Amino acid sequence: MSTFWSLWVMVLVTFNLGLAFTLFVWGQRVEIPVQPDGTTGHIWAHGVLREGLRKLPLWWVLFSAALFVFGIVYFVRYPGFGSFKGTLGWTEYSKLASDRAVNIGKLQNLLQSYEGQTLAQLATNTQVLAMGERLYIDNCAACHGRDALGNHTLGTPNLIDTEALYGNDEATLMSSILNGRSGIMPPLGAVLTDANITATAHYVRSLSGLSHDAAQAQAGQTTFMTLCAACHTPQGTGNPLLGAPNLTDDIWLQDSDLGTIEASIRNGRNGKMPAWNARLGEPSARLIGAWLYARQQANQ
Amino acid sequence: MASGYRYFETVEKHAGLLGIGIAIMVSLGGLAEITPLFIRAQQMAPPANVKPYDALRLAGKDIYVREGCYLCHSQMIRALVAETERYGHYSVAEESMYDRPHQWGSKRTGPDLARVGGKYSDDWQRQHLINPRKTELESNMPGYPWLAKEALDPSDILARMRTLRRLGDPYTDADLAAAPAALEGKTALDALVAYLQGLGTTLSANGTLPDAMLDPSALEPAP
Ligand code: HEC
Ligand code: HEC
Ligand code: HEC
Repeated sequence: MSTFWSLWVMVLVTFNLGLAFTLFVWGQRVEIPVQPDGTTGHIWAHGVLREGLRKLPLWWVLFSAALFVFGIVYFVRYPGFGSFKGTLGWTEYSKLASDRAVNIGKLQNLLQSYEGQTLAQLATNTQVLAMGERLYIDNCAACHGRDALGNHTLGTPNLIDTEALYGNDEATLMSSILNGRSGIMPPLGAVLTDANITATAHYVRSLSGLSHDAAQAQAGQTTFMTLCAACHTPQGTGNPLLGAPNLTDDIWLQDSDLGTIEASIRNGRNGKMPAWNARLGEPSARLIGAWLYARQQANQ
Repeated sequence: MASGYRYFETVEKHAGLLGIGIAIMVSLGGLAEITPLFIRAQQMAPPANVKPYDALRLAGKDIYVREGCYLCHSQMIRALVAETERYGHYSVAEESMYDRPHQWGSKRTGPDLARVGGKYSDDWQRQHLINPRKTELESNMPGYPWLAKEALDPSDILARMRTLRRLGDPYTDADLAAAPAALEGKTALDALVAYLQGLGTTLSANGTLPDAMLDPSALEPAP
């Protein structure tokens, strides 16, 4: 703060406090002329109300005096009086930094005690699970659902079932969370005719034993083998390296009706899982991993 | 001291005078607290990486304001540990210097959005805006399905950017020339999502600012 603005604040504060205090002291000592009837002579409502004379109640005087004392003590101890920093040296930023340090200190000790444990080991610790669940709800539930069962509208995977797009082993799971994922399936609407797309969709439904038109599925098989098998494998069992889902089971990212499958083929798909390393850090992300692990075990 | 009573009596009997006296005393506080900050805001130099909104985000910001999102969402992470733990680094003045009007707010029916950029995918933002119940079963945020059907008007954006330039935002002629094309074929939803995905990412991505920003001297007003 420049000297000018510092002085500006000091002068205004001093003037304001000083004037208020002068009025406070003076106002109590001013002598009020008293009429013979014991009132000030001020009347309202055609004489029904007349202003009497009382000393200010002691509690009010003391309370007001205390406010002046508070104001002055505040300006001495805390920043506020121009560029004077206050005797405590308090700032909002140092307060935040120390609050954070306390917080981090508590967490650090806990997280350190978890270091070197596998997700399976962590998952036996109720405190880990409680923290993991809280972090999950804050950061992941919006996409994967409150119970980690996935969301067909968004096309997000169920995180606690036996099938994984990329893999449920510890390293893969943690890599999904920390680095994010982006599963890409190219749009094929420009390459295939509508009839072709419908036929391929029938074939996809046939893979997992859903109702389908046998003749259509037969026709779609060729397209599948040429265009889809590269990622989903010729059997349709998927490829965890690409995050291409297994199409032969009853686990779906989106709905499994014909129209949705056709739309996937026509428009392609790009499921985006954000990276969490920067927001959460690995030790905290592992708490979520442990909670997911526990849910997976309980689900089997 | 009897004479002193005259003054009190005058004030007592003239409510207007009392009102003026009160207004003066109260505005002294305002003058001391607000004027120095006003002056500081005028002097603030934008950090190199803080740029005015590009055309699409600017259109999105106007829709954010038009739809009244600020009635439920603030864009101001305060320097309190409970907030920095939840939302990321506290907001700094430079981040909203191109917001006219600023969207700081104080009403939080929903969460703060100052650093929501990149937290979710574009697709999530879309689905959530069209119908929040699709992603959050119990959300009481209203849906905005019409945004997906509303085409942006590319002819309108030039006037807005010129006005902002007149107010001091450093848009170049090239920015202006490219603006209408950037809005071509886009919907209001596209613009709003682009705006949301940019929130809080100007100083650093992912809502994490270097710890050095916690150093008070980094934020001291210019001398
Ligand atoms: C913006 C929505 C979104 C958010 C938020 C999100 N995810 Fe995801 N997640 C996805 C999508 C979409 C996929 C599928 C990615 C793909 O297809 O490649 C995915 C995939 C995953 C996978 C890989 C699953 C598999 O089967 O291999 C894991 C594990 C995962 N997410 C965990 C999490 C955790 C933990 C969080 C919270 C820290 C989280 N996600 C937050 C959208 C999200
Ligand atoms: C480049 C690799 C690639 C090719 C080629 C490809 N896919 Fe995919 N497919 C994926 C990926 C990755 C996903 C998961 C996308 C996501 O998470 O949004 C996917 C998802 C799907 C889904 C959604 C599954 C579910 O659980 O909801 C269907 C159906 C599908 N593909 C069918 C096909 C068909 C049919 C073809 C051929 C016409 C094809 N895919 C070609 C990679 C591919
Ligand atoms: C009636 C109050 C209300 C209004 C108006 C409102 N929201 Fe929300 N918003 C919420 C609530 C509550 C949540 C938390 C639940 C949820 O995610 O739906 C939320 C969540 C969000 C989120 C996710 C934040 C996060 O970190 O998870 C975004 C983004 C968002 N709103 C954007 C908007 C936009 C853009 C508008 C204006 C078009 C808007 N909101 C209007 C109440 C509101």
